[in-house]
Amino acid sequence: MIEVVQQVEAFAIENDAPKIDTLVLQIGELSSVVPEYLKKIYPMAIEHTLLEATKLEIEIIPGNGKCKVCKQVFNLLKTNGICPQCAGTDIELLSGKEFFIKEIICFDADDKDT
Amino acid sequence: MNQMRILDIKQSIYENNDQQADLLRQMLKDRKTFLLNLMSSPGSGKTTTLTQTINQLKNELKIGVMEADIDSDVDARKISETGVSVIQLHTGGMCHLDADMTKQGLSGLGIDELDLAILENVGNLVCPAEFDTGSSKNAMILSIPEGDDKPLKYPLMFSIADVLLINKIDVLPYFDFDLEACKDRAKKLNPNIKIIPICAKTGEGISEFADWIRKEVSEWNRY
Ligand SMILES: Nc1nc2c(ncn2[C@@H]2O[C@H](COP(=O)(O)OP(=O)(O)OP(=O)(O)O)[C@@H](O)[C@H]2O)c(=O)[nH]1
Ligand SMILES: [Mg+2]
Ligand SMILES: [Zn+2]
Repeated sequence: MIEVVQQVEAFAIENDAPKIDTLVLQIGELSSVVPEYLKKIYPMAIEHTLLEATKLEIEIIPGNGKCKVCKQVFNLLKTNGICPQCAGTDIELLSGKEFFIKEIICFDADDKDT
Repeated sequence: MNQMRILDIKQSIYENNDQQADLLRQMLKDRKTFLLNLMSSPGSGKTTTLTQTINQLKNELKIGVMEADIDSDVDARKISETGVSVIQLHTGGMCHLDADMTKQGLSGLGIDELDLAILENVGNLVCPAEFDTGSSKNAMILSIPEGDDKPLKYPLMFSIADVLLINKIDVLPYFDFDLEACKDRAKKLNPNIKIIPICAKTGEGISEFADWIRKEVSEWNRY
């Protein structure tokens, strides 16, 4: 998580971003990253950084695969990696291993007198 | 009213580490140091295997070992009995080592002094497979009691390993472990994987592993 915060800070400085409100991450269902754990350590990881007092939002990306035999696309977690159509196990992974920093939501503080 | 703005970042979190790992690998190549990353579940026999292997190689190669235990130095002590240099890496509770931590460990060992650096990664078959440490080659150990279905459960680990050591073959008669089926499953995920059955306790199979290391080290230094 500390690496993530550093990567976002570097991005914010480089792009001259205004005050950050929310950080949005994308995490694949099949990645080893545990969203609940990230949420728990987030307040600690952002202490004394540019991200201090920001919110964390996590989008989950489904773990989908495509059967190499019958081309069926399906959710790997729901079927334990087995093709629901032909019971094949030779599956091409389409998504689910991601761990992305998607975006930051910022508020322009230019008109302060509201 | 404040205006809301969304800035797209779209960066993979692994990207940063991947770049550092490539840089580290290049540096190792320039200095002619081979880095072996050893991974397995807890208790599969990493430390025992390393001790045996080091004893076969320490007279011909200058060896240094990095031990990544979450918070003990038991393994580092065992390795230091072989006489090679050892450093304990603190992962700060993390479940894997990344390229940056590995680099720090290597500078602690003194990279110029070494022909062969070995990293005993954190005991875990998931996270270490996802983080490139900058190693020249990856080795993994699977021990008989863990079961022959592990390649099915942890496919990524088996697909990034260059060599698979199947350890504790002395207990094979007591477990329902199908050695051939296990090899087939690993080969299916990774056709180029080298598989060596060993018994780290008695040293059986270790010389084949030591030969594999010799060959890889000389290839690493060739160009
Ligand atoms: N029967 C048998 N036991 C073994 C063999 N190799 C290691 N062991 C035992 O397995 C246990 C764990 O071995 P270690 O070498 O400490 O394993 P490790 O992977 O370094 O363990 P951690 O660092 O704690 O993850 C020890 O009690 C060893 O004596 C083997 O070939 N056969
Ligand atoms: Mg150990
Ligand atoms: Zn199918």
